[in-house]
Amino acid sequence: MRALLAAFRIALRAIVRAKLRASLTILGILIGVAAVVVVVALGLGVRQRVLGEVSAMGTNIIYIWPQSSQASGARKSEEAAMTEDDGRAILEEALSVSDVTPFSSVSMQVVASERNVATSVMGTTRSYWKVRSFSFARGESWSESDEQLKAKVCVIGETVREALFGSNDALGQYIRIGKHPFRVVGVLVRKGQSSFGEDQDDRLLMPIGSFRARVMPTTPGRVDQLMASATSERTVDRAVRQIEEIMRQRHHIEEGGEDDFRIGTQAEIRKSQEQIFDTLTVLLSSIAGVSLLVGGIGVMNVMLVSVTERTREIGIRMAIGAEELDILVQFLVEAVTLSLIGGLIGLGVGTGVVAVLASALGWSMSLPMSAIAAALGTSTAIGVVFGFLPARRAARLDPITALRRE
Amino acid sequence: MTPERDEPLIELEHIGKDYVTEDVTVRALRSVDITIAHGEFVAIVGQSGSGKSTMMNIIGCLDRPTRGTYRLDGIDVTHRPNDARAIVRNRLIGFVFQGFNLLPRTTALENVELPLVYRGISAAERRQRALASLEAVGLGQRLHHTPNQLSGGQQQRVAIARALVTSPPLLLADEPTGNLDTRTSLEVLGLLQHLNRQNGITIVLVTHEPDIAACARRVITMRDGAVRRDARNEQPLDAASALAELPPPDEGDTA
Repeated sequence: MRALLAAFRIALRAIVRAKLRASLTILGILIGVAAVVVVVALGLGVRQRVLGEVSAMGTNIIYIWPQSSQASGARKSEEAAMTEDDGRAILEEALSVSDVTPFSSVSMQVVASERNVATSVMGTTRSYWKVRSFSFARGESWSESDEQLKAKVCVIGETVREALFGSNDALGQYIRIGKHPFRVVGVLVRKGQSSFGEDQDDRLLMPIGSFRARVMPTTPGRVDQLMASATSERTVDRAVRQIEEIMRQRHHIEEGGEDDFRIGTQAEIRKSQEQIFDTLTVLLSSIAGVSLLVGGIGVMNVMLVSVTERTREIGIRMAIGAEELDILVQFLVEAVTLSLIGGLIGLGVGTGVVAVLASALGWSMSLPMSAIAAALGTSTAIGVVFGFLPARRAARLDPITALRRE
Repeated sequence: MTPERDEPLIELEHIGKDYVTEDVTVRALRSVDITIAHGEFVAIVGQSGSGKSTMMNIIGCLDRPTRGTYRLDGIDVTHRPNDARAIVRNRLIGFVFQGFNLLPRTTALENVELPLVYRGISAAERRQRALASLEAVGLGQRLHHTPNQLSGGQQQRVAIARALVTSPPLLLADEPTGNLDTRTSLEVLGLLQHLNRQNGITIVLVTHEPDIAACARRVITMRDGAVRRDARNEQPLDAASALAELPPPDEGDTA
């Protein structure tokens, strides 16, 4: 320990002596570490933000889409379909499912008095609010009888409300969709953008029956998609298996036959998004890592120069009793000191850049302790790895040759 | 007071050293047998190429002989690995070089402390011993000067202080006055003689100048890699009195 401390003092003095050279080397490491820090913080920030939203949508949502059989040729005519009855059956029979809501949508121009706007017109049921966790800013949901009667009522998102009614209250107003006027019974609380960049407030919802009858005429009971929520996050997998079984049974799919539907869970979406972000972070980090590598080569270069320049000094130290390890440690410590100084300043600079970015983007970005530790650990490691060769070269010098050097 | 003891400090037996370059083998030392006892003041003289530097490197454990056996203070150091020889150098040998070989930009005090650093001695004790050593060579006033702020003679005295700080039995001086003028040379030699007489430290001095060798009590003459002459000098030149006989230094000459 004492020897290390002494070596550290020698190292600092050597660094101070060659200020410009040391500063440039430190700058190399600094840039590398700062780049890694910024990339990691940015990656984590984006990831947190997106995954936070995905979680806010509910981690126990299960989506069921129809899927035309992939088998080549023949059965192409038999377009896969999914119905409200499928949904009811799932709700009744699948023990791990707490809610199911059907869902169909179409992009359309909707009109209110003078103004019109293109939006997603969606048909669904009252369970939708619960499954997707929407709540009402004004008014309330349509009633059950509205669903049975296919009433011309609708609920709108904030984006649609603003486009059609500006600062006026939308409640009780009429929106014309195609030929039919629909009365606005509720306005949803603003949700903002989803992780996929979709504006979740840009929507107009109505009972699925009304949708089929007055907006998009289709075969009775037919829906685009079913959304179910599992009883809890932990029962999602069980719920998926139950739904699969029920659907196969209802769609008369034989053993070994291919599903005519597809099931996706929020967890899967989350997982695939996590994968995307991990890949992205790794990619960007490795690019930043290259600059660290270049910084490390700089350390090695400057240490080789330092060893050559101080050959005589090494000879003197050896003559008066320095062992190989003493010399090795001395130059290793010098290399580590160089890169650690670079690492510390780089960490400071990186944190500063992250703070500026965070306030500019309005995101909350934090640097985890592990990233700080990694930055310092990496710069130490760079010092050791890239300092080793020059240090060993110094330690293996022949004292006589070293002493003779001018 | 008789500082010389009968126990041998340096024992060279049939020491030979060959330098092998691509296809020529140069015999730097043929077969050297020398025994130097504790407390002796020996000068090794010879022309350049006589093998005296090679011998000095072998005695200093900086180089290994090709043939023969070398015992230092009873320890066979002939074939020790590098680190063991580093320890031997640190414990048993103090070096004084022609070029002083002080660390540049490092104060006199720190230079003198250096051998103790490698011995793992605490900072306080290092400081204390370095101060005593610098005091002993008469440089107690120049502790915080760096080598380029010191004259040649002062630098060589710092180097002697550094060699003495570990209290080694052997002080090895390679042309210690080669870079110094007559007056300063005599000062340095006087200091070495004093150390030899007062502290009983063994001194082996390598030089090519007969004047310098005259200060030693034993003179070993080398030629062509072999010992030509090994003679006692019953009346060595006393450097201190020789210095007193010199004309007074010129005004402003403060070497």
